[in-house]
Amino acid sequence: MADRRRIRLWPHRVMTANATDAPRTGVVGHRAGVRRPPRTLTAAAVVTAALFALPGGYVVWRVMGGSASPLALLASRGTLEPLWRTIQLAALVSASTAVLGTGLAWLTTRTDIPMRRLWRIVVPLPLVYPSFVGAAAFISGLAPGGIVHDLIGYLGVDLTTRLHGLTGSWLVLTLFTYPYVYLPVAARLTALPGAFEENARLLGDGPRRVFARVVLPQIWSSIAAGSLLVFLYTVSDFGAVHLMRFETLTQTIFRTRLFDRDRSFTMALLLLVLALLVVAAERTVSRSGRRRGAGLDTVGDRRSLTVPLGRWTTPALAATSSVVGLALVAPAVSLADWGLFGFLRARQGGMPLRLDWHDVLGPTWNTVWISVLTALVATVVVLPVAYLVTRHRSRLGEVVNAVVVAGFAIPGLVVALSMIFWTMHASPFEFLIGSMPVLVFAYVVHFGAQAMRTAQVAVGTVPRRMDDAARLLGAGRLRRLATVDLPLMAPGLAAGAGLVMLSTMKELPATLLASPIGFRTLSTQIWNTYEALFLPEMAILAMVLLCISAVLTWLLVVRQSEHLR
Amino acid sequence: MATTILLVLGLSASTTACGGGDPESLTVYSGRSEKLIGPILEAFTADTGIVLDVRYGSSNDLALLLAEEGDKSPADVFLSRSPGPAGFLDDLGMLAGIDDDILDRVADGDHSPDGTWVGFAGRGRVLVYNIDEVDAADLPDSVFDLTGPEYQGRVAVPGSNSSFQDWFTLFRLRNGDDVAIAWLDDMVANGSRFYPKNGAIVEAVGRNEIQFGLVNHYYNFQKVAANGDAQRSANHGFAHGDDGGLMIIATAAVIDSSEEKDAANKLLAHLLSDEQQTYLTDKVYEYPLALGVESADVLPPAPTDRVGAVDIDDLAAEFRRTMEIIEASGVLDQ
Repeated sequence: MADRRRIRLWPHRVMTANATDAPRTGVVGHRAGVRRPPRTLTAAAVVTAALFALPGGYVVWRVMGGSASPLALLASRGTLEPLWRTIQLAALVSASTAVLGTGLAWLTTRTDIPMRRLWRIVVPLPLVYPSFVGAAAFISGLAPGGIVHDLIGYLGVDLTTRLHGLTGSWLVLTLFTYPYVYLPVAARLTALPGAFEENARLLGDGPRRVFARVVLPQIWSSIAAGSLLVFLYTVSDFGAVHLMRFETLTQTIFRTRLFDRDRSFTMALLLLVLALLVVAAERTVSRSGRRRGAGLDTVGDRRSLTVPLGRWTTPALAATSSVVGLALVAPAVSLADWGLFGFLRARQGGMPLRLDWHDVLGPTWNTVWISVLTALVATVVVLPVAYLVTRHRSRLGEVVNAVVVAGFAIPGLVVALSMIFWTMHASPFEFLIGSMPVLVFAYVVHFGAQAMRTAQVAVGTVPRRMDDAARLLGAGRLRRLATVDLPLMAPGLAAGAGLVMLSTMKELPATLLASPIGFRTLSTQIWNTYEALFLPEMAILAMVLLCISAVLTWLLVVRQSEHLR
Repeated sequence: MATTILLVLGLSASTTACGGGDPESLTVYSGRSEKLIGPILEAFTADTGIVLDVRYGSSNDLALLLAEEGDKSPADVFLSRSPGPAGFLDDLGMLAGIDDDILDRVADGDHSPDGTWVGFAGRGRVLVYNIDEVDAADLPDSVFDLTGPEYQGRVAVPGSNSSFQDWFTLFRLRNGDDVAIAWLDDMVANGSRFYPKNGAIVEAVGRNEIQFGLVNHYYNFQKVAANGDAQRSANHGFAHGDDGGLMIIATAAVIDSSEEKDAANKLLAHLLSDEQQTYLTDKVYEYPLALGVESADVLPPAPTDRVGAVDIDDLAAEFRRTMEIIEASGVLDQ
């Protein structure tokens, strides 16, 4: 009985532990064991910050060089309304994805839900739909005459609601962005030992209680990290809100980009300020979360606990299937419907498909290598900052973190233009214009945020005492990184890299503007066919994109976290 | 140091260029989709041996890219879906004068007054309607009719679309701001609905989500060509001379910093050649602009008014005003 009370109260126990016997337990959250960061780490972080600040610097430069007064623009009705709509939408989507992503992560990592392996591959995939493709497929599938609408009609359900505005944007963005929460949370759950949960269970706590008291405090910072990414993504999204006819800040930026550049750039600056505020808020929340018990040892008994779902199996399966059904299958069915229509049309002597192998193979290969390369580079680039923030609790690290993460809110178009601007104005690098390094650099700057927060969580899972032990045994810094830290961080890093990879695969404006001329990826081809309204061709390309993203997610993300078991 | 590198690069580029008359390649920034214009560009390479390096993208984004690149841009030719982005670059002084014999291939209204861009294909503004719901005999003669009670809640307006804004700018300049604003306000009061894109409107009209839409003619032709009888929508042209009809022209321009202006002009001449103009109208369902080339039979009579035909002093200011009016009308919230 006494034991049971101790377990229930463990978060408080950890807090006291912080103050008293922290060095022995190695719990993160005490200053005593925090060493000054090595100079190389600090230097690397400063360089990273400077590079990631380039798009923001470009926006500030343009606003200052504009002829209109930024303050007058900011105070106008045309600014405040889109700003309010943006905040509403981003907050709603963040909240719903936090619930959805966490629930799915728990179900697929901690329970005996049937077909667990399959779920772990397909649940993150909705992220890969380019926003405009997903929204277009979703809208046309659910509209009268659309395949989903008709199928549901057979079941006697009449869908007459027309999706648009806040509701439509919220629904579509929730379905396509919950993987930002799912991947980091699933990675964190995989890395956590089941011992605490097992003890709590043995002592009589039900699964719900175990989740609320034991699991939630440990995955809190991963949820916050994921929801932050969702917030920033929603703020920067153009495709979905455009099709859903919801005028957010990014829509205003796009609409005014050519003939009212002052306003366009002022809006971009406003977006950036909003992003910085949200990043700061998230840091505060996740720091308080850490005090509540994150950073527990992740080594030791690695068998994690499996909760038998029992009579909850059917509801859990139904919930998971309906999310995957809506977010992944429904758009895929619409795409398959369009693609098949094109095939049949060509077979019956109608207009032939304007697509040949040349249009598919080269772009597919380009998509694969550039997204994997970007994911690797992004992970390596953010790692020093993650160490600085998590291991050394450095103020500088916090600033660099804010710069890197807030940059995610800047729309891809602005990032691409800023890359051109800076390469033009940095004469020694002029020769790089239109070259592959600039493209990869643009991707890394745009998506680095996705790797950053997951990398911090990953660094936080490495217990200091293991590192200290290795140091005592004479292992050098690099050796410790390779043999102690990296294996432990692998699932977290892979989750972040997976996010970057999936995002890069679908990225459009930077690929169109900053790539070497003639470089085609699947997303540029999809855009090309969509612009010409060749829907069957677009659908086939989008399905190819979906398939290769499934293969890569399995190879690089799911297996990565499974090798630990 | 940087200047030296630039000089060396510039020298080597110009020596290769002077070598054999035509350069080996040209760089084109194209706001027209590859699926539509690709075959025409391939034919140019086949005819002249000049390879084209093409960057495809949205016209507005490519114009912004060119503005950032300035006189260091690798682009020789810019193809835009409408005169707006070309006018934006013209205002920045980034476009070169086009050879007179090329400008003479089109009517006066189809090139810019100062000869810095030339139109090569046209799309008409029309009213698309659902053929199951609407009797062809009841179709309106004028865009002003759409504010009447029989159209309440039945018309789609692509308020944020650049073609619509092109049209609205000319509509405004011809009728004055008061009339234009009153019309748009009446449309809003009449429950007209906002859609972001022409293509989305044709889709929605085809599935009877809404019955009418203000769009470019080309989208319905593509949908009918692809879907046949399954596509339940058709185009309706407003009466001849009505403000609702207008030709949006795709434009070509030579970038002022190009070192290959002769070859660039050759490409423009190719776009306006009889052969390529015939291809454009027969295969892509656009209106040819070269004098003496007939539109494909299936196309409705070409609208007479052009966006480029009005000499607009400050294009950017006019477009800004158009956007202000559209935003103030509340049509984007419909």
